[in-house]
Amino acid sequence: MQVILHTTQNGNVAVTVPTGELPINEVLAKDCPSGAIIVDDSTLPQGADSSFFDAWELSGSTVTVNFEKAKAIKLAQFNAKAVQEAQARQLNTLASIENAVSDADFTASLTAGRASIASATTTAELVAI
Amino acid sequence: MAGTIVADTIQDGAGNSTSMDNAIYGSAKAWVNFNPSAGSVTLNASYNVSSVTYSGTGYYVVNFTNAFADNKYASAGAASPDSGGYTCVVGTNETNNAVYSAQTTTTCPVAAVRSYSNVLSNPYVVCVAFYR
Repeated sequence: MQVILHTTQNGNVAVTVPTGELPINEVLAKDCPSGAIIVDDSTLPQGADSSFFDAWELSGSTVTVNFEKAKAIKLAQFNAKAVQEAQARQLNTLASIENAVSDADFTASLTAGRASIASATTTAELVAI
Repeated sequence: MAGTIVADTIQDGAGNSTSMDNAIYGSAKAWVNFNPSAGSVTLNASYNVSSVTYSGTGYYVVNFTNAFADNKYASAGAASPDSGGYTCVVGTNETNNAVYSAQTTTTCPVAAVRSYSNVLSNPYVVCVAFYR
């Protein structure tokens, strides 16, 4: 399938997909800024690289993935998940401490809670990122 | 064959009638149903839409085949959840990476965000209709 590419104001790539109501050359002239180009979508980054769309950059007729932007995207995804996981473990720890019925129980809950929160980034969900 | 029917009301066989204003101003002048995914959209069906531009995660631009007379049209949108299972909502005239885009006679920016966090996201399905 043919699509139209152009660079946006913020430096990202925009991909315009025609519906078929108009020929693609008319869509290019009507819907896209000057300098936009028609390419086959099979030439666009595939697989894992497609998930870094916000790191795509257009050079000539080639789309590349900006490594630094991709790193920032991955880091943001990791941090968001890590914070979410740590918060859930923190709440579990607080509940355990509140339910403690003795000093020993309290200490054990606290120790287990610390270990749980410290290992939050080793969950399968985060390792998969 | 081209032709024009002039009438103030329309009526069905059972005698139910409505003002032509309802037919003219109450029907969508453009609509689109698409599946966004990173880097592209899959168009399922549309009317009076020449293309959809994927400009970033959760951010799209609908381009009309025939322009509206002005930019005062109304839109209604719906979205499915995203791949994380989060409920998404659709809005127009959105800001993408601090770049604000207002609807024009020929294009309407559309954004999808997670309802609980307001973070841009790609739902499985986005549907938008435009009225004037």
